[in-house]
Amino acid sequence: MTGEAPAILVALEESGFGAAIRQSVWLFPVANVGHILALAVFAGAIAIMDVRLLGGLAATAPVRLIMRARSVAIAAFVLLAATGFLLFTAEASHLALNPVFQVKLALIAAGLANLAVFEFGVKRALVGLAPGTIMPTSAKTAGLLSLAIWIAVAACGRSIAYF
Amino acid sequence: MLRAMTAVTALALAGGAAFAHHGWGSYDAAKPVTVTGAIATSKYENPHATITVRSDGKVWTVTLAPTSRMSSRGASAEVIAVGKSVSAYGYPSTATPDEMRAERITIDGKTYELR
Repeated sequence: MTGEAPAILVALEESGFGAAIRQSVWLFPVANVGHILALAVFAGAIAIMDVRLLGGLAATAPVRLIMRARSVAIAAFVLLAATGFLLFTAEASHLALNPVFQVKLALIAAGLANLAVFEFGVKRALVGLAPGTIMPTSAKTAGLLSLAIWIAVAACGRSIAYF
Repeated sequence: MLRAMTAVTALALAGGAAFAHHGWGSYDAAKPVTVTGAIATSKYENPHATITVRSDGKVWTVTLAPTSRMSSRGASAEVIAVGKSVSAYGYPSTATPDEMRAERITIDGKTYELR
């Protein structure tokens, strides 16, 4: 299977860095545990934002609550990406060909695209909205999409080892 | 409340079991094999140590346990060194020909449980 993977990913896996991750007693387990802990924080922050977009947690003005939760989500995402890169590097040539991993990457791209649509479109309708205001349909759609996408990303991540 | 906690505990245990056995889905537990021969190559690496074994004119890839479990069970890198004679009991892969996942290995008369 290694033969079919892009050369750059084979080179990444076979690099000294890749070997170091596989051969270190603690690096792979630390990346593994760190990825899950970062996921827990990320999921919590995302849930707060999406529930607010869907109309829950209405005691706080939507943009204010979303911005607070978002800084936590960004920090957790950076940690997810960093630990994910370590885990990926150790087995790059196999993972690149894993169908569930490919779906997971596509879903992450979709999640980030949904975020961009929110940032440059949906959010404008929310600026200045008072606590308790009924949320516009565009916001509810963004929240529902976000929830669905990130849950699917997590499910794919857990399923990689089974395919 | 007690019922909810029991359900959550059961789920957590099931999840733990699934984690411990992850990846066994693509190995055929109904057709266990024993591969006996000399170790041709040996990788003591995460996520799983692997050896290749020459047996009956074939070269089997034998997937072992994560290195932390290997060492805690006494199966150090020296134990699975190239040239040693090994007997590996496990399940053949349904995806990759001549690959198997070892339930236990025996080297120098000592058996190491890997699950």
